[in-house]
Amino acid sequence: MIFKQYRFEPLAQASYVLGCARAKEAIVVDPSAELGAEAYVLDAADLGLSIVGVFETHVHADYVSCGRELSEMAGVPLRIHEAARGLVRYDVEPFADGAVFDLGKVRLTAVHTPGHTPESTCYVVTDRARTEEPWFVLTGDTLFVGDVGRPDLLVGDQELDVMDEAARARALWESITARLFTLPDSVEVYPAHYGGSTCGGVNMNGKVSSTIGFEKRFNLAMRQPDAAAFARFVKETAKPFPDNYARIKSYNLGLITREALRGATA
Amino acid sequence: MTPAEVRDAVADGAVLLDMRPPRPFAQEHVTGAINFQFNRADLVDRAEMALPKSQAFVVHAEPEPIARVAAQILTEAGYAVGGYLEGGLRAWLAAGLPTEMLPLLDVDEVRDRAAEFRVVDTREGFEFRHGHVPGAELLEWSRAWDRAATVPGDRPIALICGDQVRSAYVASVLQRLGKPALLVFGGMADWLERGYPIEKGK
Repeated sequence: MIFKQYRFEPLAQASYVLGCARAKEAIVVDPSAELGAEAYVLDAADLGLSIVGVFETHVHADYVSCGRELSEMAGVPLRIHEAARGLVRYDVEPFADGAVFDLGKVRLTAVHTPGHTPESTCYVVTDRARTEEPWFVLTGDTLFVGDVGRPDLLVGDQELDVMDEAARARALWESITARLFTLPDSVEVYPAHYGGSTCGGVNMNGKVSSTIGFEKRFNLAMRQPDAAAFARFVKETAKPFPDNYARIKSYNLGLITREALRGATA
Repeated sequence: MTPAEVRDAVADGAVLLDMRPPRPFAQEHVTGAINFQFNRADLVDRAEMALPKSQAFVVHAEPEPIARVAAQILTEAGYAVGGYLEGGLRAWLAAGLPTEMLPLLDVDEVRDRAAEFRVVDTREGFEFRHGHVPGAELLEWSRAWDRAATVPGDRPIALICGDQVRSAYVASVLQRLGKPALLVFGGMADWLERGYPIEKGK
């Protein structure tokens, strides 16, 4: 098993390269344009790995993805949950809940966890050279260390937003309780953001990983008694919106060009 | 460099350094290319152990940013690198230029058909002495450039190392000389994992 976390500190954003040391194959999850496609390509090569896939946990609203550039550069598919079909305006290979991707002995299983966004997906990772039991989970913007992904990053367009804030909050509670907190307590949590990011609430921790067991016990949002209390808690503990998030989301959906995005941020 | 420019440079004596991992190299590579896997941390150290600076090279790596960076690193280290193959293998094939493959073996085939092969271990001497395939000969990878011509080509040569990076390099050097090289994919790691016998010392 090869596993590396890449952090872009100004946005407290984490992306991941993981692969099989024997098969010499790797995938990249949630690549950031701030680091750039070339950085991932060179880094994978340093590890002796060929990139065979690019995965998004969801369409991001707070940072610019380089998933498209990376998949084109490496000549490999860009994969995202099928709920993004019709929303993203570029070629992706959609997958369904439960889809399994093998890299040698390393197995990635997609767990659809709608809430932060309708297509949000967590990736449960197993190293079958050691055990069939899951070792860690890439939680995207669903479960953070100490907090959860905010359900209110809507762009104000019903067709694109698909679910409203209330429906997202309910789905998020359900996704975490039914899909993530049913994993063994020892499973490690690697989120797409950590403390300082505006994709979660004020209780996000600066630590860059946790475990399912620890979050079950001490995640304040998930300590709420039910979905309604959870929704209220998440709203009350929300941070200001991420800078320029509607336009970044539009770019990541393929609705506007990089130049148009740059013009908007300049 | 365009495929035609690479072809001409090779005709003038340049050696194509294919810096992709061993598996894609084995599947298909430019005829005559040497497999020398890229990584930034010790590329120069490894190159200086194995490759002469008097030799002209052209780089091939994919995706292309790796080729650009590799050419730059080697040039800065004093190697005569003419450039890199733009568009990679796809462009080479589109230009109708020749490729070849490097046959793969797994450790089971090496064990079951040992008598057919000349097994050549390409690791360092100390690794070889610690334990190797019974009957294997030692040819340290860093000496292959000079000594490959002395390896008899009377029967298939099975190249083995810890995994398949050093062995792929030596296999490609032998193949370039027209010798019947095969790459043992998985190497000693697989051999030991299967619990196959080893010979120590020498």
